[in-house]
Amino acid sequence: MIEFSHVSKNYRNWFGREVPALTDFSLSVREGEVLGLAGPNGAGKSTLISLLLGFLGPSTGTVHIDGLEPRQYVESHGIGYLSELVNIPPSWRVHHALERYALLAGVRRDGLAGRLSDAIERLGLAEHRRKRVRQLSKGNLQRLGLAQALLCDERVLVLDEPTHGLDPLWTQRFRDIVDGLRQPGRTILIASHNLDELARVADRVVILDHGQLQRIVDVRATEHDLADGAPYRLVLSRGEEHVMALFPSARAMGRGEFELRGESLEGINSGIASLVQGGALVSAMFPLHSALEQQFREAVGVSEDER
Amino acid sequence: MSVSTAATQARDATGERGSAVGAYGIWQLRDYLMDRGASTLIVLGLFGYLGIAPALSSLSFQMEHANAREIAAAGSLAALRAARMHALTIGFLGNFLGAVVFVGAVFAMQGIVANDRKMGFYRFLFAKPVSPRRYYGQAFLIHWAGFTALASAMAMVFGVVVEPIVSGSLIAVLALMFLLYAAIEFLLSSVARWDWMSLVAVTVASTALWGRFAASNSVFAKLLYLLPPLHRTSEVYSAVANGDPLPWPLLQWFGAYGAVCFVAALVVLRHRRLAII
Repeated sequence: MIEFSHVSKNYRNWFGREVPALTDFSLSVREGEVLGLAGPNGAGKSTLISLLLGFLGPSTGTVHIDGLEPRQYVESHGIGYLSELVNIPPSWRVHHALERYALLAGVRRDGLAGRLSDAIERLGLAEHRRKRVRQLSKGNLQRLGLAQALLCDERVLVLDEPTHGLDPLWTQRFRDIVDGLRQPGRTILIASHNLDELARVADRVVILDHGQLQRIVDVRATEHDLADGAPYRLVLSRGEEHVMALFPSARAMGRGEFELRGESLEGINSGIASLVQGGALVSAMFPLHSALEQQFREAVGVSEDER
Repeated sequence: MSVSTAATQARDATGERGSAVGAYGIWQLRDYLMDRGASTLIVLGLFGYLGIAPALSSLSFQMEHANAREIAAAGSLAALRAARMHALTIGFLGNFLGAVVFVGAVFAMQGIVANDRKMGFYRFLFAKPVSPRRYYGQAFLIHWAGFTALASAMAMVFGVVVEPIVSGSLIAVLALMFLLYAAIEFLLSSVARWDWMSLVAVTVASTALWGRFAASNSVFAKLLYLLPPLHRTSEVYSAVANGDPLPWPLLQWFGAYGAVCFVAALVVLRHRRLAII
């Protein structure tokens, strides 16, 4: 569905020097896939999205959506797009903004009212519909941005930091919305700093750093695949005095909590078994980082000491 | 089958999606009238009032103190008043038409493309199945029609207060001269920011260079043809004001120059990427 082939993009700085934003990036995104895009600030995520929408052209390489150049595809089919910064003229009213975008998306006048009501209801904007855009809070503006992206059931959705500014309730609802959007003919690309969110909604996550593809993580396959030596948190309600004897490298965090590092899974399991046999009561045991987060840290070279 | 799939398929089957940009024209007209048109009306109305009110007041004073010889020469007091009102109209139009067109064009086109790029509004607009050249080309035409209608309405008001001036010649001149300035600014806005300042610079440079080198036989003087002959705009405005035949070759030159700039802007929009790096 989406094909990046050896794409590089260089910018020129004020002194005319070329600065690489993306280097030799190749990737195929399948129809029906939800692809996450992760990377630190300045990794090249926004450049990649601008290339996909045809707002920028590649310095070298090609980008195709359904076999077409990006602008050709966008101008004939449209893409549901939420940008990181929601830029809507501040003097527009919420319902007028949605009406304008719906008309531009090609919704006919006879179906317009229904689509607008759906979008307003879906994103909980009913009480704000007559407000001007400048009167909206960050979260409501984000929801308006999301509403305009979802107006037209596009086959390609690109959501850049979609939950930025949303409260926990709406973050959860966003996940439900993405789940509802998942369908065989639709490709969804979500760029986010929130790895937990990506782990929940994406099928694969592309990790970018310094403009280069560092790793593609198959989220479903790595869900239960934490490497030996990954850090874990152990929480005890009783018997914490025995922990250091069984796990000499453990770090006490207080209130019965310990951080276990460098232990194999087998070692941790047998240690916990001994603790329980010795009368300890284990109330929680969980990895400090998700499998995706672990991969991300490795890909972008973050050591455990930099936590 | 999910609800969304059903919706997509139903949409495709019934052709629920229409021609995107055409239907949006009503919003572009509304934007013009509410923002740029309103500003044009306020500024030109104020300048027009400040220009005409003292002249009308002076005319009233002159009529109250007109001597018998002047009245006899005109035929009657009413005829003398009409003649003086006509002279006032000619002077006012000759001086004011240029300002109407220039200010109208600056207001109508200021940042028409550049602001959307600078403010990032292009992102949502052009993620839709919309081509920038079609969107902005349509906006240009709507602003052009909007300005022509607005200026004609102002001319009608002038006709009620002072003397009727609306004519085919006036509307043609307003439309063609607007096309010239607006298309230059449209092109500048497609290429870079600071379009209205660039338009002022082009206007000043063109007027000065044509005025200085128009008669020169130098090879370099041929380069002047890259600029419109703005030093001759007064010929057009005087002809309208005096009710003389319009200098059509000159008007055609202006109109053609505007048309070329308009097409050039569309070519720029076709090839230029929207994101500002």
